[in-house]
Amino acid sequence: MGLDRDFAAALAEVVGPDHVRQSPGDLAVYARDATPLFHHPPDAVVFPATTDQVARVLQLATAYRVPVVPRGSGSNLCAATVPLRGGIILALTRMTQILEVSSEELLARVQPGVTTARLADAAAARNLLYAPDPGSRTTATVGGNIATCAGGLRGLKYGVTRNYVLGLEAVLPTGEVVRTGGRLWKDVAGYDLTRLLTGSEGTLAVITEATVALLPAPAESNTGVAYFESLADASRAVGAIISSGIVPATLEFLDRKCVAVVEEYAGLGLRLDAGALLLFGEDGPLEVVAGNMVRMRKICAESGALEVTVAADVARAEALLTARRCSLPALSRLGSLTILEDVTVPRPRMPEMVGRIDEIAERFDLQIATFGHAGDGNLHPTCVLDPDDEAAVERAHKAFAEVFRTAIRLDGTITGEHGVGAAKLPFLAERLGPAQLGLLRRIKSAFDPAGVLNPGKLGS
Amino acid sequence: MIFAKPLLDRCISCGYCLPACPTYAMTGEEASSPRGRISLMRALETGELPEDDGTLAEQASFCLGCRACEPVCPAGVEYGNLLEQWRDHQWRGGRRPLRARLLMAAVARPWLLRLPGLVRRHARTAASAGGPSLMLGCAERALFPRVSRAVRTLVPGLTVPPRQGCCGALHAHNGDSAAGERMAKEFGEALPGTIVTTSGGCAAHLAAHLGRPRVREASEFFVEADVLPLGTLSVDGRPARVALQDSCHLRNGLGVWRQPRELIRAVAEYVELPSAAACCGAAGTYSILRPRDSARILAAKIDEIEAAGVDYVVAVNPGCLRQLRAGLRKRRSRVEAVHLAELLVIASKQVRPDRQTDLSESGS
Repeated sequence: MGLDRDFAAALAEVVGPDHVRQSPGDLAVYARDATPLFHHPPDAVVFPATTDQVARVLQLATAYRVPVVPRGSGSNLCAATVPLRGGIILALTRMTQILEVSSEELLARVQPGVTTARLADAAAARNLLYAPDPGSRTTATVGGNIATCAGGLRGLKYGVTRNYVLGLEAVLPTGEVVRTGGRLWKDVAGYDLTRLLTGSEGTLAVITEATVALLPAPAESNTGVAYFESLADASRAVGAIISSGIVPATLEFLDRKCVAVVEEYAGLGLRLDAGALLLFGEDGPLEVVAGNMVRMRKICAESGALEVTVAADVARAEALLTARRCSLPALSRLGSLTILEDVTVPRPRMPEMVGRIDEIAERFDLQIATFGHAGDGNLHPTCVLDPDDEAAVERAHKAFAEVFRTAIRLDGTITGEHGVGAAKLPFLAERLGPAQLGLLRRIKSAFDPAGVLNPGKLGS
Repeated sequence: MIFAKPLLDRCISCGYCLPACPTYAMTGEEASSPRGRISLMRALETGELPEDDGTLAEQASFCLGCRACEPVCPAGVEYGNLLEQWRDHQWRGGRRPLRARLLMAAVARPWLLRLPGLVRRHARTAASAGGPSLMLGCAERALFPRVSRAVRTLVPGLTVPPRQGCCGALHAHNGDSAAGERMAKEFGEALPGTIVTTSGGCAAHLAAHLGRPRVREASEFFVEADVLPLGTLSVDGRPARVALQDSCHLRNGLGVWRQPRELIRAVAEYVELPSAAACCGAAGTYSILRPRDSARILAAKIDEIEAAGVDYVVAVNPGCLRQLRAGLRKRRSRVEAVHLAELLVIASKQVRPDRQTDLSESGS
């Protein structure tokens, strides 16, 4: 289709001709993110360097009615950054400055293109913790994390991204720049637009700067591994740990298939014969960590664990967590099409949900492995298939539709941390109901009257 | 069919490779990331992009081929293989850079390779006695003949067969996989048994075609054969501070990185460079084909070496050694770049072979 020539010239004037790309090769590589089966090329890729440039690009896009999809590293798993209706990809990978890290105020101010791991490292250098810990942290950007309200491995104890966003600078599609929230922990002046923008998936505004809360870094941390006969046994241990009054920093599970592929990649010496593996971890003062690790170890053993071990040192503990973070890509070793999903149910219903997933997989004759955040009931059933087997792909779609409906029926949700994007949009109505969906659409049009920001996603 | 389908299908576009890629770090653009390049390969395979597309040509050559994306890829994508297949297709006929063509033509002529030996003395050759043999790399025998001599000094029993030829890594990395494979096999016939090499790039290439067990990179060989020189390397009466630049193909291709560190620690104070594992920009012929990009990558590396306050920086590959020396010389740095084998010989003799004066320095 291509862009209007005047529009393209105006874009080049705003960001400089080198930062507008329209070659077929550039368009091809920005046609997808990390979501399988979604694919559509943009008409141009624009790389702004400043908030002002973002504002002028959006103003132009609104004037010319051209869709704009903001994008960080493109690691999202719900096709939120696939430009389904063409238009421009607004790549924020040039805005990568850490503007401030304050030990006194316990906050950091960053541009959207900074990766989560870089922010966490900058905080750690001052003995501070940036708590959100998505699996893709080394790649994913803070802007993208905020846009999807990313979760991660520390969700139970520390919460998710939204719990750490104090303020945002964002550009509306009209080109207006808003500063929501700020540097304050207490601030109730007006609607909470910071929270509204967090998780808005690039449909309301483009985040150009974020102020995030930090915590004092915990003095110690450790991680242990417990093997169980089944996921149901592991779930019982999870329930027992939390009822005992411990809120662990880590409580992650992998089923047998996940353990096998993670072991193949990371070579940690994990046991391959158990039905489920539970990673449990704690951080905090030395005595607390030591005490809680002993207690969790005991609870696992009492809940029927086949074997429980605690990491001997920090390196081993970190290796275990790193291995867990790569479960998804490691699973693709089983087949080249890997559909990873993301449902959450109340913690006590987890065993039931896992059982239903297994039953659905069997009924549709599919290979579905499951791993996830046992502590917060967030499960990642992952279907591994041959992409050329169209019938199987079709069955996978049907199976996942059932998985989502099952989650909703168990008082759960269709996505806990990846977002709705284009992938889950067809199921959103079932989760929210017509009144809420209507409100979402009215909010979308208040922010974006011309409907140029990430069309075909939330608010459509 | 340009690519082996299972290789191309392996990538699930998760993007975990992005932070490991030196060219993505330079541009922040998807096309210059491993994931983006695999998207380009797919577009080439399906015909979505024509063969003469400018981005395809640019990215096939912009990639360093350092394979830093491979160890961080949980899905196990064999990017190095894909890149070879890509260049094999992309650089067919006249599209291969002229400088690469000239080099490839030169190293494919065994008689030409023997010439430098007449002028600059590398390790003396002798027919294989059946044990492990030392490889005389095609670039190294001309540029750094002292390296093979150093290995012979450390392991006198190692034979150095004459008429070795070139292992073909240069061809494989520059879009002639068939020649690369043929040369590796011929090389394997010329040096039966275990091949000991002082070049990470050659080691990875030979291992891919002759099987991993036949190939021992020098540091790996030294550790396994327990060749540990005695004594401590000192400078100005204190233990020398020594850093290492990993060879990309050795580290990312063969997973060898502990051994050279262990050997340096045995003779000196080891200093880890923050980006020791990241490419120095030599990348085989890269520094010749893309000198500006290579220099940009090298500049950051030299900054780091200077900041580390080291006396020596060790390389385990001739390309890296040449690159580091050029960079350090340009800055008039006092840091000296040496091959690991040279460092070990210096340590065992406490004499830097090129500068006898250092004896008095270290003695004072």
